Order: sequence, then structure tokens, then C-alpha cells
Amino acid sequence: MKKSNFFLFFYLPLLGILVIFFFLSSINRSTIRNKVEELVQEQLQATAEILKVNMSHLLDESYPASEILSPYRDERNIYFMALMDENRNILDWRSQFEGYLPISQKQAGQKDSWIIDSPVGKIYNVFSSFTTPDGKTYFLYLGYSLSNLQEMIGQSRRTFFIVFSVLILSAVAFFFGLYRVQTGYLEKQREAEKEKKEKERFREISGFTSGVAHEIKNPLNSLSLLFELMQKKAPEELRQSISLGKQEIQKIASIIDRFSATIKPLRLNKQSFLLAELIGDVHRSISQEAEQKNVIISFDASNPLSITADKDLLGQALLNILKNSLEASQKGEISIRTAAHRKTKSISIEDCGQGIESKDQKYIFDPFFTKKEHGMGIGLYLTKKIIKAHGGSISLKSERGRGTTFTIQLPGGMK
Amino acid sequence: MRKTPSVFLLGVFLSCLVPSLAQQQQHFYNIDKEIHIKGSIKDIIMEPRYKNSSPFLVVVLEDKENQKIYNIEVSPIWFFENDFHKGEDLHVTGSPYTTAENEQNVIAREVRFRGETLVLRDKHGFPTWRGQGKGKGRKRGKNF
Repeated sequence: MKKSNFFLFFYLPLLGILVIFFFLSSINRSTIRNKVEELVQEQLQATAEILKVNMSHLLDESYPASEILSPYRDERNIYFMALMDENRNILDWRSQFEGYLPISQKQAGQKDSWIIDSPVGKIYNVFSSFTTPDGKTYFLYLGYSLSNLQEMIGQSRRTFFIVFSVLILSAVAFFFGLYRVQTGYLEKQREAEKEKKEKERFREISGFTSGVAHEIKNPLNSLSLLFELMQKKAPEELRQSISLGKQEIQKIASIIDRFSATIKPLRLNKQSFLLAELIGDVHRSISQEAEQKNVIISFDASNPLSITADKDLLGQALLNILKNSLEASQKGEISIRTAAHRKTKSISIEDCGQGIESKDQKYIFDPFFTKKEHGMGIGLYLTKKIIKAHGGSISLKSERGRGTTFTIQLPGGMK
Repeated sequence: MRKTPSVFLLGVFLSCLVPSLAQQQQHFYNIDKEIHIKGSIKDIIMEPRYKNSSPFLVVVLEDKENQKIYNIEVSPIWFFENDFHKGEDLHVTGSPYTTAENEQNVIAREVRFRGETLVLRDKHGFPTWRGQGKGKGRKRGKNF
């Protein structure tokens, strides 16, 4: 997937969700905060009204202002208060902080309540008048702490950020998972598409080459018969040359047969058998060649591991790999190991040969790729085809000068 | 100015006088009446100013231009870390009030001397020594 698509399909929706959540949550929090502030202010206004009624009676009974305010000195949430006469002269005042009475006639003249910031938090100011029963007007100035409200708002903000962080993490995890699923699906789809195209191309090539092979083989058969006839009737001195010609024709026919076998779709005839038994058969068919090259082929003949596969085709695949290993080895040992895993069974063939150059490794299973003088480059191609037809896979590890290990993985784990 | 045990003993003695120094009616920082004055230090005294508070540093400032004497209420002694010397020039921003004895007093918000500014109260008159907000604790007479 392109980076721009990744952004478009994954990051953009994620960002969108987060922005919407943030936006809605901010609106919600702001509304709740405003409502709570309103409620608190109403409560404080009500408190001020009660205080004013009390003070009104006390003033009416000629209590001095200092005595009227003294009961509220230890009130924790009232930061300051002042009692004023009708000319707004302060009769008495109390403050929890030295000299701090942020009364502003300018501010008070405009409204009866306002909020100011202080290092100990927001302070809600109420400035209002009241009248005593004898008709005198007084003013009460009250500074009330909003620290509890701020604590609540702070708690709400903290909760929001925790929820927001959890949401971000969950969304990232979710979209990452979605991305992985999506890329996995696309990858499989691409592979299926590629396989489909390859099959189509293969079918076309197969049909074409089968036709060509058929067309070539007919005249070759006639030529072969003709050479046989000529060999019988030709003079003695020509018979050897005619025999060589006939051998060449048979070589051509053999090449065409191998091509036809490569191109033909594989039909598996599966059966259960011991892997050691199959390896033993393959070993026997190549042992003479190995002896000539002084190469020892080792495997555990007593291994009881069995497998369900097309014995002939799997044998052919193993033989192709062994032949390659043998050709690459001058002496030493080729070891064949088998193992059962949770879902697969593996066969690995390790040689001590010259190894395969890293740049060639990715082409090694391609048809007609060969580094040998007389090779056709279809052995390993056919091997991979057989393994894939079984639903398995083949891989190699090779280091120049240190040998190569082919590993075949086939379905069917520990049973 | 140095804080010696004798200063503290004086503080303790003066604090006993607090009840007699009842909070005066206009003795608060009035943001509507803020003034700027400058003068030279004539005297330095320590005296209680508020109930339940430690003694304050009060500087007697002489404004030679206007021929006026002001008592500048700076801060509690424990908060003030700098030294004042008699004869030093001082610029003060603060809120004035007049006592019953007709003395000119100024509650200082900012004091500038020797090229440094000490912020003692915020713009509403909130004392800096009473905290810088939750969890930040109190900071001593800070230069700005």
C-alpha cells in the first residue's frame, strides 16, 4: 500500500475520530463547566443574601460592624468580606491574606458579581446592597473561594485526558490491526492474481509447446526410422556415422520429452509412506555417482517419520536437489535430515559444495536458469513445482565456498 | 538588613501589640488608588501590621520633591531577603492610605531599587508570600 493511501485510509479516519471526539468532549465539558459555575454562583448569591439578612438585623440592633463580621473570620471559603455604608465607606473588613481586599469600585460599579484570578485560585466576588429595617442602605462585598469548583474542573480535565489517551492508544492499536489485516488480505489477493496470470500464461505456453513438441516429434520418429533403415542398408564405413546421427535424434527426442513433462500440469497420486524409505530409494539411484565423486550421502534410515504425498514426484524432487548438491560438491558429505513440526514436516539437504552466489539465489528456481555448461535449468524449477503442488515450500541458504542447504516444508505436522 | 535573633525577639514583642493595632478601615490594597512614588530611605522599622501575621518591614521614605514622608509597608520580615540601607533611592508602586494620626502609608506592590524590581503583590494586591498557586509553595522575595 502506498504511503498516501495508508494516510488516506488509516490515519485520516483516526485523526477524524480523535478530532471529533476532542471537539465534542470539549463542548460537553465546557457546557458542564458553565452550568456548574452558574449553579455555584447562584449558591453564592443565595449565601450572600442570607448574610445580608443577618447583617441587616444586627445593624438594626446597633451592633458594631467589627462584631457583625467577626463570626465569619474563620470561614475557610470566604477569602475576604467588607461591610460598607451607603457612601461606600468601609465600616469593617476581613481578609485571609494581609491587606488583600481586591475591591474595585470601577468593577463593582459595572456589575454585582465577577471573578478574579489569584495565586490561590479563582475568587468569586459579590458586591451588592441591602437595606436595614430602619431604611439605611449598606453594601456587602464578598470574595468567595472557587477552589472546590476548580478542583472538580481539574479532575474532569484529568479524566478527559486519561480517556483521550486511552482512546488514542486503542484507536492506534485498532487501526494498526486493521492495516495489518488489510495489507495481509491485499498481499494474498496480489499473490492469487499473480498465480492466476501465471497459470493462464503457463496454459498458453503449455498448449503451444505441446503442439510444437508433437509437430517436431512426428518427423523425428520418421527420421529415426529412416536412420535405422539406412543403418541396415548402408555400407559398413557409414554405419557408425549413421548411428551417431540416430543417437543425436534420440537426444533431441529425449529433450522434447523432458520439456513436455515440465510443462504438463502435475496430477498428484498421494499415498502415505515413510520418508526414510523414499530417501533410501533416491539415495540408491544416485549412490554410484556419489561414490565416484567421493561424496558420502548420510541420512537416518531408521527415522519413523511418515508423510502423505506423491511418492514418485517427491522422489523426483529430492533427486533433482541431490543431483545439484552432488554436482556442486567435490568431496565431503551431503546430509539429509527430516523433522516434524507443529504444522509441517521438513526435509533439509545440506552439502559442503561451492555454494550459490547471492545474486543468483533468487533466480535458482526459475525455469531455464542454469550456471552449468550442460544443464537446461529445469531441475530445480520442476522441484519447486512439485513441492508447490503438494502445498509446501522450498527455500535455500547458501554461502559461497561453504555449501548450500535446501529446505522443503510440506504440510502435515506431528501426527 | 540582617535577620538576627534580636530582630525576631523584637518581632515577638511587637506582635503582642497586635490587638491594639486593630485593622484600620482603609488598610488594604486598593487597586483603584495605585500610585508611584520615589524617594530615599530615611528609616527602616519592623512592626506588626495585620492580625495573626508576623511583623512587617516598613520603610520610611522621604519624597524630597514633594516634601512628603511615607511609611512603605513592604512585606513580612521573613519574606524579605534583600538589604535596605538608609539614604538609598527607592521607587515604589503601591496603594496609599492615611492613618488616624494623619500619617501617609503606602502598601507596596512593587519596589525598585539598585536596578532591580521586587514584586511583592500581584495586580489585585494578593501578597506574593501567601503562595504562588497550588503545590508551588512560597517563594522568598524574588527579584524580577
